[in-house]
Amino acid sequence: MKRPNGLAVYAFLYLVFLYLPVLFLPLFSFNDGTIVAFPIKGWTLEWYRQLAGQETLIQALMNSFLVGFVASLLATSMGLFAARAYVRYRFRGKKASEGLVMLPLVIPGIIVASSMLVLFISIGIKPSLTAVALGHTFLALPFSVSIMKSAFDDFDPSLEEAAFDLGSGVIETFRRVTLPIVAPGIVASLLVTFTVSFDEFVLAFFLSGNQPTLPVYIWSQIRFPAKLPNTLALGSLLLLASVALLVVAEYFRRRSTKSTI
Amino acid sequence: MTEKNIIQLQGVEKRFGNFTAVSDLNLDLREGEFFSLLGPSGCGKTTALRMIAGFQEPSAGKVFIDGEDMEGIPANSRPTNMVFQSYAIFPHLNVGNNVAYGLRNRGIAKSEIDQRVTEALEMVELGGLQERGATELSGGQRQRVALARALVMRPKVLLLDEPLSALDKKLREQMQFEMRHLQQELGITFVMVTHDQYEAMTMSDRIGVMFDGRLVQVDEPPTLYAKPCNRNIASFIGEMNFLPAHVTEENGKGLTVTTPCFGILDIEKNPNVAQTGRDIEIGIRPEQLEISREKPEDYDGTVQGKVRDVAFYGENVHYHVQVDGVEKPIAASVPNYFHTVDHRPGDPIWLGVQSTSIIDLGQNTIKS
Repeated sequence: MKRPNGLAVYAFLYLVFLYLPVLFLPLFSFNDGTIVAFPIKGWTLEWYRQLAGQETLIQALMNSFLVGFVASLLATSMGLFAARAYVRYRFRGKKASEGLVMLPLVIPGIIVASSMLVLFISIGIKPSLTAVALGHTFLALPFSVSIMKSAFDDFDPSLEEAAFDLGSGVIETFRRVTLPIVAPGIVASLLVTFTVSFDEFVLAFFLSGNQPTLPVYIWSQIRFPAKLPNTLALGSLLLLASVALLVVAEYFRRRSTKSTI
Repeated sequence: MTEKNIIQLQGVEKRFGNFTAVSDLNLDLREGEFFSLLGPSGCGKTTALRMIAGFQEPSAGKVFIDGEDMEGIPANSRPTNMVFQSYAIFPHLNVGNNVAYGLRNRGIAKSEIDQRVTEALEMVELGGLQERGATELSGGQRQRVALARALVMRPKVLLLDEPLSALDKKLREQMQFEMRHLQQELGITFVMVTHDQYEAMTMSDRIGVMFDGRLVQVDEPPTLYAKPCNRNIASFIGEMNFLPAHVTEENGKGLTVTTPCFGILDIEKNPNVAQTGRDIEIGIRPEQLEISREKPEDYDGTVQGKVRDVAFYGENVHYHVQVDGVEKPIAASVPNYFHTVDHRPGDPIWLGVQSTSIIDLGQNTIKS
């Protein structure tokens, strides 16, 4: 066997520090006790069972689904058109606008959240799920634009010309050729932007008013020690769902870059 | 081929900002001919093709197809179809659906679509491959699908943008003949853009050569090879030795010229040449030169030289011969009749040329 060198050890430690804390979450969610500390007292599924009966939790979950659904749909459709324009055309202000679209990735969330709160209130949108969905669309846009850009990068422009040449109109070409070819990219974008919205806390905390999304609900529960194991169980489920979604999204993203040879 | 003009380009120009891609293009294409636009990359030939297809509108001038002015008529309403350089096979559709794509836009009955698709695929020798996925095709098959997809539309003109450039050499040569046969059987006008002179010469009835956005000469391949209208075309198509020559006498169809190495020759005037004068340039194709150890008999011009390089090509051998009074070595090619290379570098050698094979290229544009 090859002797592990310094870099391999470094990489191993790096991964341990990165992921070990995350693994504590599912570990303690099976612990038969309310105190989160070693040693584990015993194994139980009680905390998971209790989740099913909590109506406010279910409501928060539904809120999150709704917000994620709307935000991912809005961000992906905007990203689809923006990405096609960025890849296909040269126009004045292209670089600037591409930079602006990516900005939400680097602005501190707290700044975005407080300025959005001010903005929404001043234009008459009260803190609500609508406000959260709009805010999440803004946050998710950079993800959908970059995923859709990579889908269009490998898209031979003469495919659209061929469709047009064979008698299709502009809309017909988009529906019968462009859309099916970038479909894997669209699915990947929907999944990733949904995950971005589903996990988001700061904006949702500022904008959700009395309709908490799941992360906001979890935060409110974490203050009660007795509820902690429940929260751990919930968190573990979310972790699993997120990882699953991203794996599926990555599968579709790779398919989209392979489909047009 | 009929006498009817299927495409007429009148003073067509295309500008992109300050750059003029095509300028003052005038061209009549006959119905049923195989026409090639030949030129180096960036000469405007693809832009010209795209203006016929309707992907680009001319900045000035008019495009007529079958007598109809095409101004304002988009690509999807023109009686032309295109085979793209990348073939643009729809990756999400199988072969049958690729070929049927255009017919479905026309609202044709399903049974007729099926029948026409079957016929089109048989025509390009892909019969029965309807269910094959687009990504499972080889390069040659993709090319055939692209042809079938365009021809199934029964266009008045088929436009081909570098249709063979993505194929390897053997397949390319095979497809040249197949496409030529297909075109002759169907009688459809083919307009092909290519940078490959051999492709253009083997397939076309006529070739239009473009340089820097201008159409310089339109002729049948043998004429283009024998009577190029200037140095650019002479060097772009085939190989050519260029020599300066001084005109001492001019009479009707002939010129008497003094050459630096072949002495005084009576040559034919080239009617395609635009500019001429006392100091002209002449061209000699390498295969028109005789090469031998002894002074060749019965040649109008002879000169002695020394072999500098020998290049063995298999079907023929190229000798580069250094001659006094000429800076660049003169290239002579000899068919490989007996599987021998008769001369070695350094050998003294004689070159002979008949004056009928010398090409008048008009005014010498090279500064001496």
